Amino acid sequence: MKYSFIVPRTKRIIGGDMRLALFFFGVNIAMMSAAYLFLEYKTNIFQEKHASYATNMKHLEGSTRTLEEKIVMVETEIKKQEQISTDNTVMAESIRNLFDLAPDSITLTRAELEEKSLILYGISPNKDTYNFMLEAPLKSIFHRTYTSFYPIENGWYRFVSTNYLDDENSTEVAE
Amino acid sequence: MNVRINYRTFYLILLSLLLMVSIVAFSTFVLIPKGKEYRTLRLENKKEQTVLDTTREHYDVTEEKLKKLEDKNKETIKAYRTVFDPEKFMRLNRVQLQDLFLTEVHLADQNKSFRVYEVNATTKITSPEVFYEFLEKVNHSGWIVGVHFPVHFERDKDLIKLSFTMKVHHMSEVKEEK
Repeated sequence: MKYSFIVPRTKRIIGGDMRLALFFFGVNIAMMSAAYLFLEYKTNIFQEKHASYATNMKHLEGSTRTLEEKIVMVETEIKKQEQISTDNTVMAESIRNLFDLAPDSITLTRAELEEKSLILYGISPNKDTYNFMLEAPLKSIFHRTYTSFYPIENGWYRFVSTNYLDDENSTEVAE
Repeated sequence: MNVRINYRTFYLILLSLLLMVSIVAFSTFVLIPKGKEYRTLRLENKKEQTVLDTTREHYDVTEEKLKKLEDKNKETIKAYRTVFDPEKFMRLNRVQLQDLFLTEVHLADQNKSFRVYEVNATTKITSPEVFYEFLEKVNHSGWIVGVHFPVHFERDKDLIKLSFTMKVHHMSEVKEEK
């Protein structure tokens, strides 16, 4: 039996307005939460990066310093090797020049080359030959030159020529 | 005008107000500070990354430089690290220098990186030219050898007795701990 002329509306616990409001706030809260989570996540990443930055920098700087030290060491080695190589070549030239000083008429029997001195032993047909042909160029090179002559049976002279450099530039010996 | 507010509308307004206040409070006290922190960290991180990139670039350039230097001078570097072997040296130079004899190798000088061994050599040569050639050849031997004074030449029949000093430069492997 009907007591009403209209069909009753279905009653809802949450009405249309409330649903709209809840939806609006729900979306809002969700967006804000998402933004917060994003910021939190990124902040954590940045903090981790910041923490590893110091370690990475220290490691990189240490490695670079080690490499630079190695470069300096290799450059020193190369420079030293070049110097040694040049010294050897200069020594060869110096000795060559020294022996070239001696004329064919004079026979050298012994040569003692030190850093700042040169002692030559040899035989000369006479004193003048030695004085003009060997002593003169030696005097132009060395600061002090002393010569002793010893006559031998065939009329020639055995000589000992001692020459000294006074300055510290030893490379000039016999150049 | 009489405005009637039913209890549903009242609850709706109350809830909306509560939620609005919560949202504003959350934004003010949590979200905005977090955003500021994020921005600061991002800027800081960007700066650090730039510095790190520059340092890494410097490291790469230095590494490349060392590699090139080592490639270009590998013979020299190897020679510095080769232990001097008197027997091998005598064997290699036996043809040029007759009766080559080396006295015991002893340490003449040592600093942080280098060790210098002194070797006295006596030999017989046919002419001084042989010694000049030896001086050139020694530059390309497997060691870093410098010939030093005193150098003595003495005629011995058809040969020349020769004695000289050699200094062998060797790279110290032991490094000081920092």
